[in-house]
Amino acid sequence: MRGRGAAPSLTFRLAWRLGALMLAAVVVAAVAVAWRAIATVRELDDTALHAEARAVAAHVVAGPDGTVRVALPAALAAQFANGDGQGLYLVFDREGRLLAGSDPEEAAAVKPFLPARGGLFQVPGAGVAGQAMIGWLERGTGPFGQFAVAVLQASEPREALIGTLLQEFLAAALWLLAPIALAAVAIAVLTLRSGLRPLREASEAATRVGPAHPGLRLPTARLTRELTPLVSAVNEALARLERGLEVQRRFSAEAAHALRTPLAVLMARLDALPEGVAEGAELKRDVERMARLVSQMLLMARLEGMPIEAAQEVELRGVAVEAISGLAPLAVRLGIDLALTEGGPVRVAGNRASLVLALSNLLENALAHAPAGSEVAVEVVPMSGGGGRIAVLDRGPGVAPAEAEAIFARFRRGARPAKGNGGSGAGTGAGTGAGLGLAIVAEIARQHGGSARAEAREGGGAVFVLELAREPERKLAAR
Amino acid sequence: MRVLLVEDEPELRVLVRDALARAGFAADAAEDLADAEEHLRQAAYDALVLDLGLPDGDGLSLLDRVRRGAVPGPAGLPVLVLTARDGPEERVAGLDAGADDYLVKPFHMPELVSRIRALLRRPSTLTGPILEAGNLGFDPAGRTATVAGKKLRMTAREAALLELLLRRAGRVVTRGAIEEGLYSFQTMLGSNAVEVLVHRLRRKLGEAGATAEVHTLRGVGYFLEAPE
Repeated sequence: MRGRGAAPSLTFRLAWRLGALMLAAVVVAAVAVAWRAIATVRELDDTALHAEARAVAAHVVAGPDGTVRVALPAALAAQFANGDGQGLYLVFDREGRLLAGSDPEEAAAVKPFLPARGGLFQVPGAGVAGQAMIGWLERGTGPFGQFAVAVLQASEPREALIGTLLQEFLAAALWLLAPIALAAVAIAVLTLRSGLRPLREASEAATRVGPAHPGLRLPTARLTRELTPLVSAVNEALARLERGLEVQRRFSAEAAHALRTPLAVLMARLDALPEGVAEGAELKRDVERMARLVSQMLLMARLEGMPIEAAQEVELRGVAVEAISGLAPLAVRLGIDLALTEGGPVRVAGNRASLVLALSNLLENALAHAPAGSEVAVEVVPMSGGGGRIAVLDRGPGVAPAEAEAIFARFRRGARPAKGNGGSGAGTGAGTGAGLGLAIVAEIARQHGGSARAEAREGGGAVFVLELAREPERKLAAR
Repeated sequence: MRVLLVEDEPELRVLVRDALARAGFAADAAEDLADAEEHLRQAAYDALVLDLGLPDGDGLSLLDRVRRGAVPGPAGLPVLVLTARDGPEERVAGLDAGADDYLVKPFHMPELVSRIRALLRRPSTLTGPILEAGNLGFDPAGRTATVAGKKLRMTAREAALLELLLRRAGRVVTRGAIEEGLYSFQTMLGSNAVEVLVHRLRRKLGEAGATAEVHTLRGVGYFLEAPE
C-alpha cells in the first residue's frame, strides 16, 4: 500500500498486530503446557521412587543373629541388580549406620545428603558413580528397631526424558499452531480487504467527479455497514454541490440571454441604418465595446463560479494553431504577421477550449499593442519539469516591470496603452476590451494549476507566458 | 436560396429576417421549435439559422432531429447556430451536436450573411458552382480561374491549391491540410514544396491584379482573403 510512513495501511496494521498476538499466544501456550508436562513427569518419578522405597522397607528383615538384611523378591531385586548406580538402595539404622545395601560402597557418597525427616532428596553431580542422583528416604520400624531405606536412581535419564518430551511436544504444537496463526492473519487481512474494496471503488469514482460530471455519485453497492454513512454523506454533499452548480449555470445562461438579446437588437438596428448616417460608425463601435464587456464579464463570472474541467489531454501546438487561425483575419487587417515557431507536440492536462480562449486573449492583447508591419510570434515549448509553456512575443511598447503583475488584475486598463489610431476601433475587436482579457487568462491559468506572467522581450516588446505544469494522466499506459 | 430563421425574440426575428431578405435570401422566420418543424414540412430550405434558447425547448434538439432525419429535408442541411451562450464548452457542444457554424449574439448582419453564404458554398451542398473572392472567380468543374473576367493560366496543382483556399476563404488552411489535399502518399515532398507553390500562386494572382490575397501564417498555414 502507498504511503505507509505518512498514513499506515489498515491492512498492514491489522496483520502486524494479529501476527504478534498469535505469536505471543503460541509462546504462552507452549510454556504453560511444557511446565505442566515437566511437573507431571517429576511427580510420576517421585511416586515411583516412593513406592520402591516402601517396597524395599517392607522386605527389611532381621536375621536370628541380629544382622539386618533385605530379602527382596526376584522381580524387585532385578531393578537394583546391576551395580552401575542406575538403581540403588541403602538401609540405615537409627544412628545412620549402614545396615545393608545393593551397593554398600556408595553409602558414604549419599549419606551427607540424606534429609532428616525422609522424602525426596537429591545428590548433586559426581556424587555416586560419577552422576547426579535423585532419591527417596523412607523411614520404617522393624523388630530390630527404627531404620531408614534410601532408594536412588540417576537423575540424568529423567532430565533427558523431559527434554525429549518437550522437544516432541513443542515440535508437534508448533506444526499445528503455526498454520492456524497464519490462517487467522490471512483471514483477517482478506476480510478487511474485501470489506474495503467498495471503498476503493468509491475512491476511483470520486476522482471522476467534477464540474463536467456533477451528476456522478459514489457507488454504495456492497459497502459494509461501517462505510455506508461516510459514502452516503459524501453523496449528499455532492447532490448539494450539483444543485448549487445548476443554479449558477442557469443564472449564467439567463444573464447571458438577458444581456445579449437587447444588444443583438441594437446591433441589428444599427446595421439596418442606411449608409452615410452620421455617427453610425461610432454607434456601432460603442455597441461592440458594450458587447465585448458583457462577454468578458459573463465569462469571468462563470470561470469564478463554476470551475472548469481541466483534466483532458491537450496538445498545445493544436491549441496554438486554433487560436492563431481564429485571429488571422484581424492580424491581416492590422498588417501584423502571426507566426508559430516549430516544435514537437507538447501535451498537458487541461481544458482545450479554455486554453484556446486564453491564448486568443493573449494574441488579441499583442495585436492591440504591436506596430503594423511587425510580427507576433507564438512559441510552444515543453518544460523541463513536465507540462508545457506557451509564449506570445510582440514588438509593442513592452510592459513596465512595475506593471507586469498588475495588468493581470481585473479592470486594469491604460497601463499599457493600446495603439490610439482612431480607425482601429470598429471591426477590429482588439484594444477595445474591458480590461478583463488578461484577468481571464490568469484565471484560466490558475485553474490549470499554472501561471501567467508578462516579461520584457529582448530587443524591445513584451513576452506573455502561460505555463501549464500538469502532465496528462496516462491511464492506459499505467494499467 | 431559401433560409429559415428560428428566433423567439420578436424584434430580433423581424430585424434579422429583413436583413437576410435585403441580402437576397428568401427568408422565412419561425418563433419556436414547433413552428420551425411546421416550416420545414412546408418548404425545402437551403440553410437553417437556429437560435438555441427557445420557449418550447433547446434549439440543439431540433438540430439533432434534422441530423437524424426526423424532420423533412436533407439530414445534411447547413445549420448556423445563433446563441447568447458563448462559454468555450458550449461552443464545442454546439459544433459536436452537428452545427456547421456558430455565431454568438450580438452579431453584425454582414457577418451573419457572409457566414450563411460560406455554408452554402460548402462542397457538400453542391450549390454555387463558381467560387468567388473579390474579383477572383474559380470554376471547380472546369478547373479555370478568372480575375476580373480574364482567364488566368495556372497548373493543375496551383488550381487545386486555389480551390482549397477559396473553399475556406477567410479561414486558415493548415500546411498539413494542403499537403494532404494536393499530394499523394507516393510524392516525395520537399520541405518547402508548399511554400514554393504558394509563392507561385501569389505571384500570378498579384500580376493579374486580383484583389484577393494569400496570407501566410508562419508555422501554421495560409488563408485567402478578399477585401469586403
